[in-house]
Amino acid sequence: MKRPSWLLYAAAIVGYLFLYIPLAIVVVYSFNDSRLNAEWVGFTFDWYRKLAANDEMIQAAVNSLVIATVTAFAATVLGTMAGFAMHRYRSRVLPILVLTPIAIPEILMGVSLLLFFVLLNLTLGIVSVMLAHIAFCIGFVAIVVRSRLAGMDESLTEAARDCGATPAQAFRLVTLPLIMPAVIAGALMAFTLSIDDFVITFFTAGAGTQTLPLVIYSMIKISVTPEVNAVSTLLMLLTLVLIVLASKLAPGTLRSS
Amino acid sequence: MRRLLSLASAAALAASLAAAPAAFAKDVLHLYNWNNYIAPETVKRFEAACKCEVKQTYYSDNEEMLAKLAAGAKGYDIVVPTGNALESLIKQNKLLPIDKAKIPNLKNINPAYLGTRFDPKNEYSVPYAYTITMLGYNDEKLKELGIPVDSWAVIFDPKILEKIKGRVTVLDSSSELMAAALKYLGYSINETDEKKLREAADLIKKAKPYWAAFNASSYIKELTVGNIWVAHGYSNDIFQANLDAQAAGRKFRILHGLPKEGAVLAVDSMAILRNAPRPDLAYQFINFMLDGKNSAELSNLIGSGNPNNDALQYIKPEVKSNKAVFPDQAVLGKLEQQQDFAAKDRRYRNRLWTEVKVK
Repeated sequence: MKRPSWLLYAAAIVGYLFLYIPLAIVVVYSFNDSRLNAEWVGFTFDWYRKLAANDEMIQAAVNSLVIATVTAFAATVLGTMAGFAMHRYRSRVLPILVLTPIAIPEILMGVSLLLFFVLLNLTLGIVSVMLAHIAFCIGFVAIVVRSRLAGMDESLTEAARDCGATPAQAFRLVTLPLIMPAVIAGALMAFTLSIDDFVITFFTAGAGTQTLPLVIYSMIKISVTPEVNAVSTLLMLLTLVLIVLASKLAPGTLRSS
Repeated sequence: MRRLLSLASAAALAASLAAAPAAFAKDVLHLYNWNNYIAPETVKRFEAACKCEVKQTYYSDNEEMLAKLAAGAKGYDIVVPTGNALESLIKQNKLLPIDKAKIPNLKNINPAYLGTRFDPKNEYSVPYAYTITMLGYNDEKLKELGIPVDSWAVIFDPKILEKIKGRVTVLDSSSELMAAALKYLGYSINETDEKKLREAADLIKKAKPYWAAFNASSYIKELTVGNIWVAHGYSNDIFQANLDAQAAGRKFRILHGLPKEGAVLAVDSMAILRNAPRPDLAYQFINFMLDGKNSAELSNLIGSGNPNNDALQYIKPEVKSNKAVFPDQAVLGKLEQQQDFAAKDRRYRNRLWTEVKVK
């Protein structure tokens, strides 16, 4: 086997630095003893202490996590079903219905969802944000699942059916385990999309409902304080723990095959 | 079919969840406000006084708030729009006419801030706080160079700019920058004459090569760090920059420079929405905020201008003595509030702005 050239290593290193340096800076400045994200002054836990006392931001972070978790779960179930249906029935209309939300501009979706919720007389709040997030995440999950199904050997399901499995059993025992990595990838994608969505959330959140992106964005005018770095660091830590946990509990799920 | 049923019941559950908070809620006042635009201790004291909870939702731009309300979002009691946004809300019939008998503290407001063209009889709004768009500067550097910061010339005159080239930022806002240029030329900020607007745009184009950037978001930081010596910005931000500079132990201070030609005054007002769930609490809140002591807390926190006469006695001397934020009557007359432009004027201004930006 030929060893990859040093050029490839160099490109990879530059790529990873580009991805991770900004994150590292966010973490480092969360311990900086200055309100400015500009220069290193000294080490402090002050921003974490301030964050602990900032009920508003903690509430926003909790809201974001709850919304993202519910969205990831619901969008994955519905998206997997949609992806399966698209693969199975080869309809022309279905993909258009499922995938349009990915293509239309977020702002359009935000406004139209808001108008729709107002029409239904639904009180805007966490639930309306969840519904909106689920609506735009389904398409992403469906795409990932469908492409996985397209690469799957059809004869495996047929074999299961030959051996007497009902369609439901064949799906549960054969198809689902095979497409699991795509389902997990879709769920992670839905989680990420939900937790950092601003535009759609802005329109569908009601009076008194704040998510982290909404709070951070509203702070831009007065310049973002390192409390934001602190809360971001904690969220990164949480995500990291979840990913490590997932790979320990089910080592196969995060790999593509 | 069973799946369809369970979906339907899930939807019903979601709907009932959505409705539930309204059913058992304790008294809540929903305030739709700018971020960091009320002191936390003021909120706590009001909560104790009204035995209710204040829930704030934020916007960072008038247009955001207008868009959301125009689309039909409801549940907010009070909103804090700037002059021209207030006008839009009134035109859209979104605001509740104010019963002045319920706001005895209205007498505290300085009459100079009442009866603006946006709401001539204050039927819908009560002034809350104001900012002035001016220049923030590094006192050490500018003294060294012998440049007095009392005129828009500092950011428009090439002779002066020569000495501070690359150390100046201006707001990335067509209305604010055009206003500054128009004022420098001796015109109104709401000028609609195309020749005069063109003149202002030409002035901007000539000065542009000397500026470091159009910056509306991080100039506080740039001033504090010392990279930028003069910034066209909002009085509150300049105040914040100075606080940050002090906290970071800088030798220089960031001072306010109010150009003698006049500047943009932005008055934010409190208004009650027509579909407010709790107009009673809204009245209570407005009256509370017009009490001098409560009103002063915001000025002390962010250095905002205060239209409340009764508040002046509670405002810290270092804030109150700042003539740029609390100007004399004579200077006050030179400040102007921004209007909503007619579609035709807005198009022309947009065209000029595009020219300015691409050149």
